[in-house]
Amino acid sequence: MDKKTTLLKGRPVINGIAEGEALVCPESIQGWAGIDNETGVIIEKGHSQEGVSIKDRILVLPCSKGSNGWSSHFHSAKVKGITPAGWLFTKMDSRTGVAAVVIDIPAISDFEGMDPVEVIKTGDWVKVDANKGIVEVQHK
Amino acid sequence: MFAGEEGKLKQVAMEKIVKYAKTLGAEELCIVTKATLFCGAHHYLNVVESDDFDEVFSEMYMSSSKKVVLDKVSKECFCQTDVAPCDRYQWKNLNQSKTLFEKNRSYIKRANDAGIHIAESCTPYLIGWIPLRGEHFVTSESHVVLMCNSIWSACGNSDGIEAAFWSGICARTPKWGNHIMENRKGTHVFELSCNSKTPFDWDLIGYTIGRKLPAHAIPVISGNFERPDIIRLKQCFAAMGTTSGAEICHIVGITPEAPTLKEALGAKSPEGIIQVTQEDIDDSMEMLCDEGASSIEFVSLGCPHYTLQEISEAAGYMDGRKIKDSVRFFIWTNYAIKKMADENGYTDIIRNAGGDIYTSSCPLVAGTGFHAGVNGMALDGAKQVHYIRSETDAKVFYGDMYQCIDAAVSGRWEV
Repeated sequence: MDKKTTLLKGRPVINGIAEGEALVCPESIQGWAGIDNETGVIIEKGHSQEGVSIKDRILVLPCSKGSNGWSSHFHSAKVKGITPAGWLFTKMDSRTGVAAVVIDIPAISDFEGMDPVEVIKTGDWVKVDANKGIVEVQHK
Repeated sequence: MFAGEEGKLKQVAMEKIVKYAKTLGAEELCIVTKATLFCGAHHYLNVVESDDFDEVFSEMYMSSSKKVVLDKVSKECFCQTDVAPCDRYQWKNLNQSKTLFEKNRSYIKRANDAGIHIAESCTPYLIGWIPLRGEHFVTSESHVVLMCNSIWSACGNSDGIEAAFWSGICARTPKWGNHIMENRKGTHVFELSCNSKTPFDWDLIGYTIGRKLPAHAIPVISGNFERPDIIRLKQCFAAMGTTSGAEICHIVGITPEAPTLKEALGAKSPEGIIQVTQEDIDDSMEMLCDEGASSIEFVSLGCPHYTLQEISEAAGYMDGRKIKDSVRFFIWTNYAIKKMADENGYTDIIRNAGGDIYTSSCPLVAGTGFHAGVNGMALDGAKQVHYIRSETDAKVFYGDMYQCIDAAVSGRWEV
């Protein structure tokens, strides 16, 4: 493993294997008017990734925030065929827990020692093994 | 229930709740006795591209590709509806079609037939839906989580639209997070030195604390503040639940789990002490209210829904005045409080001024068509202002009830 690779360990939440380009949102994404219901594009005003789609990305979030309807907007986008490839939550909370169940893509939470939001940068290539709870980050 | 002996609906709901529990890392479930559920023909449901309620319900609420019929929710859990995309009685002034209005009515009726009571309220605690200390509840309304956990010491998480439905149907939720009393101790102290007199001050306090709150932290409000009432906390918690994921907030000397700062923190040292100064509040104000003076054509008050007291104050300020013809003016509440406003003469005063009291909804849930084409709007709730910015190109002004009414009368937002 070269210097540009980092391994993280967390609790497998929804099993499965996924990989994709990281989309890291240190401010999370708000529940209402956070992503577009049909396109999955982040529409939250002033968000660091405003205008970027969650589609096929490994979405890295510290937590949820805002409306209790947090999961439902990811759910709408899923019906339209738009989901992240997988997602990583620094620590589990109730909104992210519901979303993990509803969206049903590989998910890991409750990381040990390292915070994925700090270690992973947007654009890094991330392999998620949500059967074992292991994340391999290939830094760009 | 899990084996299907109580029907398909309860079986699927229980399967989902068990999966949700595993996702959270919960080992037990607890019995839920109160729920508010996001019923109605909400716009986001249109992604299913079907007018078949059962198909929409199965996909969007039960997360099931197979049809699951909403027959009966649990008798153990008192369920009522949250806000809807339509007013209870009218559609034209909301720029909505009769088709949408009737579709919404039919969706609400299906919920009602299943045992979910029609309330159409984002402030259920104003009309008798109040879980008490240690009682487990679910709600689709973020600030109701904060209100019930903080003020009444009831137990609930922000588990949202789908999971609230699962819980309403099977009367169970994972015993996790705020459902366990030891998890509810404050972690961060917010020392207030800002203005804290009016509901508008508390709206901004909530917004500001939410902005400054670290992920997963539990705030404790301390310092120099004037004693808040339920209207002030309604505003504070709605705004806090917008800029953060907060689910409980202790207020020293006010909320029951915070008789003292020490008890609010569980006798531990705080992980952080954060100041909230008037400068911080001014920063929030700058984020929320567009700069400059401008003409406005749309004024909406009541996010969260107004209490009778707020309607009384608005009517008193509007009595004998006239809203400019070019301005559409809305006050939002639930239909029970609207009836009280009618009986107390407030609705007539507001109508005589050129506005009206509306029920069951708000600009956000009524959808973008409601305010399409508007170039300038004035709103009195930070939550409404914050979210609507992603849904409009109009200038958005934020002020208290009186400033918004003045703007409605003159047709201009003045600095």
